[in-house]
Amino acid sequence: METDNLMKYIAIGSVIVVIGLFAYVGNASNMISYLSEDPKVCINCHVMNPQYATWQHSSHREKATCVDCHLPRDSFVDKMIAKSRDGFNHSVAMTFRTYPNNIRISDNAAVRIQANCVSCHKELVTQMIAMAQPYTDDPSGLDRNCWDCHRMTPHGSTRSLTSTPNNIGVKELHKITN
Amino acid sequence: MKKSLVITAVSAFAIIGLFLLAISINKNKAEQQALNALAISSTADIPEFESKSSEWGKYYPRQYDSYMKTKKSDDIDDMLKKQPALVVLWAGYGFSKDYNAPRGHYYMLEDNINTLRTGAPVDDNTGPMPTACMTCKSTDVPRYMNEHGELDFFTGKWARLGNEILNPVGCADCHNNETMELTVTRPHLIRALENEGSLPYEDATHHDKRSLVCAQCHSEYYFKKTPYTAKDGTEKVAKVVTFPWDNGLSVEAMEQYYDDREFVDWTHKISKTPMLKAQHPGYEIFKTGAHGLNNVSCADCHMPYTREGGVKYSSHTVGSPMDNMGTTCMNCHRGTEKELRETIERKLARKNELNDLAMDTIGKAHLEAGKAWELGATEAEMKDALTDIRHAQWRWDYSIASHGSFFHAPEETLRILGSAINKGHEARLKLKVILAKYDAADYETPDFSTKEKAQKVIGLPFKKLVDDKNKFLNTLRKEWIEDGKKKGLYDAKAWDGMEFKSSYQEM
Repeated sequence: METDNLMKYIAIGSVIVVIGLFAYVGNASNMISYLSEDPKVCINCHVMNPQYATWQHSSHREKATCVDCHLPRDSFVDKMIAKSRDGFNHSVAMTFRTYPNNIRISDNAAVRIQANCVSCHKELVTQMIAMAQPYTDDPSGLDRNCWDCHRMTPHGSTRSLTSTPNNIGVKELHKITN
Repeated sequence: MKKSLVITAVSAFAIIGLFLLAISINKNKAEQQALNALAISSTADIPEFESKSSEWGKYYPRQYDSYMKTKKSDDIDDMLKKQPALVVLWAGYGFSKDYNAPRGHYYMLEDNINTLRTGAPVDDNTGPMPTACMTCKSTDVPRYMNEHGELDFFTGKWARLGNEILNPVGCADCHNNETMELTVTRPHLIRALENEGSLPYEDATHHDKRSLVCAQCHSEYYFKKTPYTAKDGTEKVAKVVTFPWDNGLSVEAMEQYYDDREFVDWTHKISKTPMLKAQHPGYEIFKTGAHGLNNVSCADCHMPYTREGGVKYSSHTVGSPMDNMGTTCMNCHRGTEKELRETIERKLARKNELNDLAMDTIGKAHLEAGKAWELGATEAEMKDALTDIRHAQWRWDYSIASHGSFFHAPEETLRILGSAINKGHEARLKLKVILAKYDAADYETPDFSTKEKAQKVIGLPFKKLVDDKNKFLNTLRKEWIEDGKKKGLYDAKAWDGMEFKSSYQEM
């Protein structure tokens, strides 16, 4: 009887420790912030600094944030699924340091971004897509992505540590938030 | 009981996992702090002209450690063995004795001391080379110039400063000791930029300096005889490293520069041609290529920004960008590494094809000229052919002496090689006429297809050179090191792990 009670207290105690640790990790990693759409969230870690800095110096910063291009815009559910998927992959890459020096877009994300290009620039490209359709089997109506030609949009031609030697735009930001 | 046990066990796993995650997150956060901190160490206390790189390394460990990794580039690649025609082309000049492809920065002074070219001095005043041969080999050069003056440095034989020039090229060659800003420490580059005119040093931006600090050494130069009055009142002649940039950086502009001054590096042993030796015009050729024209700097590819965890720094492992294409080529190029490697291999193969042709043509021209002299040709008869040989070899040498030219500027390299082959054939046509006049139109040049055969053709006493060198390495060189240690100038860490390697012997 005694040991049963003891086990119960230990179990309760360990659950409390788990909750406490979870809260600590949640706080340390700014977990809640990831629910927001603020581009600053994408540089909670340092890995995306060049991507942030290059975007911040592009014309797209006036109109589109990170998530506007990188996550689906058709439904809230799709958006959250994509966000969770990317978030999980990023956490794994960050924790195990498997990310390369030159981060490239994944195939999955490329599809979303292409759709978002078209969705914003609809008036400009509708005619173009209609004209291109007879020449391609691709369901999107195009056999290439916008950035195959618009190579500098929006992150510039060089989007790694090399292009942002001083992480311009990011340092100042940290001063403001801290 | 059972339920409690399960909950406890599951919680225990969760605790371990969360605990590890918390450690990882805190580590990343610490690195982010470091990333946003100033790149300049606030505790650094490095004296001006500190020639020991390990002293700088105390405050900049990542840069220093990556610099020390240039030790990995340690293969002795005997170019004379690979391209025996070089022996004939350089007959009568130091390079026919010994010439290896360059190794990492760590080996710079070691290889300068070990090569047969610097000979076997027995005291301060012997040996074939002047002090100028050390100009680019050591952090002790700016220190010595500051203490004794530039002209004093450029005076006398190479061996005179053996116990002063003690450490390989390093931090002090390119950096300001307080601000770490890039700094050109060799006055000859500043003068050359002024003479050339398109980019005076005072107008150079930080980005320009990311190439200029390399151009201090990776450029074409010659030793200009400069008379001066020393501090003690004696008249002396300094041999000052000088870039022939007054007319521009192209092969023709520099050829004109040397011709105008009737400058001669050496007289060819076989053909008696007044020769020019091109010395790795890497910076000049680079400026004409796609990367140079797009304002890519040397450091962008040879010293790429690198991450160590979250900390970013510029790698000081100067070497081939192809060793780590993820941090170099792939920053800008969209294709795959494989595609790029194949493109680069094709560029190299094209250069090799024309390079072999040029060396064979010019080598034969030298031997044919030698034969013509032997048969009694006069100076007046030979003059034009020798001028063609001079220009042919200068152009060939200019195009390939900086090993990366085939990549830095493939079109310019092939263009110059084409003109070198043409000049070589013009010389051979003229020589054929002379030989015919002396009944030797059917003269066949001797075989120079191996290093040994070629060195025999030019009559090089190879064994004696090696024996003398060994004596020097076991005596005077050891004294220099002891002297350096006594003076406190020798940086033992800079020589850590050095193993003797040469093309001429196993030790």
